[in-house]
Amino acid sequence: MLREMQREFNFAWKETALRSLIVVAFFLSAISLLAGALTINDQEDLALRLNTEIKSEQLQILKGKTDPGDIAYSLFHLTFDPPSELAFVAVGQRNELTWLHRVRLLALEGQIHETSDANPEILTLGHLDFSFFLSVLLPLLVIGLLFDIEAREHRDRRHELICSASRFGNRIFLIRAMVRSLLLAAAVTVPFIIAAINSNITLIQASSVIGLTLFQIVVWLALSQFITRRMREAATAGLSLISIWLVLTLLIPIIGKIFVEYRVPVPNGGSILLTQREAVNDAWDLPKTATMKPFTEAYPEWREYGDVGKPFEWKWYYAFQEMGDRTAKPIAQALYKGMRDRHEAMAWIALLSPSLLIERRLTALAGTDVLQHLRYIQCSRRFHAEMRHFYYPFLFHEKAMSESNLAEIPEFKPCAL
Amino acid sequence: MRLGDIYFIAKDEWRYWFRSRLSLSAIIAASLLLVASLINTTHQVQTESATREGFQQEAVKTFESQPARHPHRMIHYGHYIFRTPTPLSVIDLGVDASAGTVMFLEGHRQNSTVFPPNYSNAYAGQLADLSPAFAYQMLVPLLLIILGYASISRERELGTEIVLYSIAVTPMRLWLGKTLALGASAVITLTPLVVGLSFAVSEGEPVWTAAYMFLGYATYLLTWVFIITATSAVCQRSASAFTTLLGIWIVLCVISAPLASSIAETGKSYEGKVASDIAVQQALRGTGDGHNEADIAFNQLRAELLRQYEVKSVESLPFNIRGIISLNAEETQTKILNRFSDQRMEQAKAQTQVIYWLGLLSPTLALKNFSVNIAGTSLSEYQRFQRQAERVRFDFVQKLNTMHAEQLTYDDDIKRSIDPLSEQRTRIDSHHWKILYATSHHENFEVARISESFPHFLALIFWCFFAAIMAANVAKKGDKNVA
Repeated sequence: MLREMQREFNFAWKETALRSLIVVAFFLSAISLLAGALTINDQEDLALRLNTEIKSEQLQILKGKTDPGDIAYSLFHLTFDPPSELAFVAVGQRNELTWLHRVRLLALEGQIHETSDANPEILTLGHLDFSFFLSVLLPLLVIGLLFDIEAREHRDRRHELICSASRFGNRIFLIRAMVRSLLLAAAVTVPFIIAAINSNITLIQASSVIGLTLFQIVVWLALSQFITRRMREAATAGLSLISIWLVLTLLIPIIGKIFVEYRVPVPNGGSILLTQREAVNDAWDLPKTATMKPFTEAYPEWREYGDVGKPFEWKWYYAFQEMGDRTAKPIAQALYKGMRDRHEAMAWIALLSPSLLIERRLTALAGTDVLQHLRYIQCSRRFHAEMRHFYYPFLFHEKAMSESNLAEIPEFKPCAL
Repeated sequence: MRLGDIYFIAKDEWRYWFRSRLSLSAIIAASLLLVASLINTTHQVQTESATREGFQQEAVKTFESQPARHPHRMIHYGHYIFRTPTPLSVIDLGVDASAGTVMFLEGHRQNSTVFPPNYSNAYAGQLADLSPAFAYQMLVPLLLIILGYASISRERELGTEIVLYSIAVTPMRLWLGKTLALGASAVITLTPLVVGLSFAVSEGEPVWTAAYMFLGYATYLLTWVFIITATSAVCQRSASAFTTLLGIWIVLCVISAPLASSIAETGKSYEGKVASDIAVQQALRGTGDGHNEADIAFNQLRAELLRQYEVKSVESLPFNIRGIISLNAEETQTKILNRFSDQRMEQAKAQTQVIYWLGLLSPTLALKNFSVNIAGTSLSEYQRFQRQAERVRFDFVQKLNTMHAEQLTYDDDIKRSIDPLSEQRTRIDSHHWKILYATSHHENFEVARISESFPHFLALIFWCFFAAIMAANVAKKGDKNVA
């Protein structure tokens, strides 16, 4: 067996076409890893820089301020979701779903849906990363490598000769396909291993990625074998394989997406915005008790401080901001639930599409899928709640903030994956 | 029989396709996909348009039906503007799914557009798109490859090529016949496009822009026809023609777009809204708070007004100075805000410019660029929407500030927090809120779209000529120059 494989390896390596395909695979793998790493590095740098900038900005704002209402109004915080160590492998939806926000104590529903306003043309054209390479390009490389291994021999009328010369009979072509696939696997994984060594990913993460690579190669090796066994004509075999690729990589995900979006409706973001604005703005025209009564019901500890005598008081201002959030929150939660449900429903579609399966596995491992975005949003919401709990005692007791109080203002810390 | 043999070769090629199960099933599959993509996108555009227009009307109505109140309250109440798809979106949705659909407009701030459809869409990988644009850019070339890869190499393999040449068919005429056959089928695949374009015309798109878009797609497919017949003419075997064409297809249709996008993204930095907001906050420091008339930033303005109207105190001015200060502060702030948003737009444009140049290397990318620009689903159109939104914002805010200055007395304005009667008098009637700049109708920037897509059209024409000349050159040599 090993001798046979050794010989097949020698045969393969003598072929110029094969060598060039392996070189192309190597470079595509390397380029996609590089592109992903550059994108993620830029994001890391940006998060770091903005965090420093906003800290120095905060110091400027706090200078000479003691009024808690005023401080909470003008003090912005950065909330962000730093990319995971593995993010360079699968940039996923990070560019599409916002991963940093600038928030203050005002109604959160008016702030948390802001986007980074990224270039939509870049988003539409997609990006090259290892995940794209594995899920979309790698099958094409396997097809290119294997679609004519038998047809070629039929054409040159050597098929029978080769089969009879091997002790494995016509299974020699399986061995041949496996040897060539192994070469491809090596060409594809070597750049990844180099990248992995230069990053901080764990051995388990690295082996999962390599495992997915091998899985994809095996799937397409099997499909190729299935087709090339049956089709004597190289072009027909190639065409059949390309059609299978089209169906598995493009059509099933597209049809699945259309179906899932039809079956799992989500509320329109527009209704969150309109609802929240009405709730917040109505408060200005309503009697103060209309805000403070439900507020003190939610926060019984502030009941005895709930009276608002002046036309404007900070505690009332922040109370109606929070009450506005509470009105819009159910719609926002329904949106998040819809996003999660859609993501979960797509898992079933992914069972029919190895490419989508790999993309989903990788983005889940890399923390670049919609679930991670929702975790980050939850993290930002928790931080906003933490700020409210910090400021409310100052606002309700109408207490000026001392230097040491200022030092205690909560700071955002990214939540662990 | 000058054109006769070309015609017969073409007809025979057609007959061959209809006898081949493979070609026939490819034709049927591609037609179904084209029709499905058109139905899917039209449906999507119509639902999205209806939803967003519905919200837009609701937003205008709620703004205009607000009760009597202080005009500055209306500045903070704000307004929403929704981005609606252009008629040609039924062909190419372009950036629509990735660009925010709604923007909140208020005083003193420029917000980002929010809720791009992709925010809540199901994620199905990067290639999951079923629009006619996608079908024509990616799938129809594959169909043409399936039909045409063997067109000339088959005759060579079967030995019929020599026979044809011996009966006075020149290699050039053989190539022309095959090209005619493949070109005709490319034209037929354009039928769903014509249906989609007619639909767009019925929705208000001018006929000439629709025709121009058709020309772009036709040129692109013709380029493929030339690439395919040239490859087939140059290859000894059909199998190698097939492999070569598939390689070309993968590079042009699968790799070139994400590769170009990654190059642009990493080559030209774009820092985004949050970075820009932090910078804006620093730049705004010291420009004065328009809510606070005592802010020292307005000392000069106040002194000038007092001198101009020859009065001793602000109370004696013939208008409410608080409104003037708001008006003035908004203008100063807006200049700074626009400086930063222009900077951001320039950064995004620089990225897109990289992609546009890379279009010279790939006809598929050139067509993508052409298509989004003519369809009005490009970055430029999105930025026009953002500029239009800013115009609407500045317009209503300043109208309200003017009311603040002209219709409210200074005396009432300063006492409104302590005196309920003054407070009542600072509320102006609800009929004043009918001030929104009309945004309900979609502005159709035909001239801009034509001029923005024209360089890409030239690139397509260049590719088509280049492919045609290459093809004619290799075809002329017949079997003497097979690779």
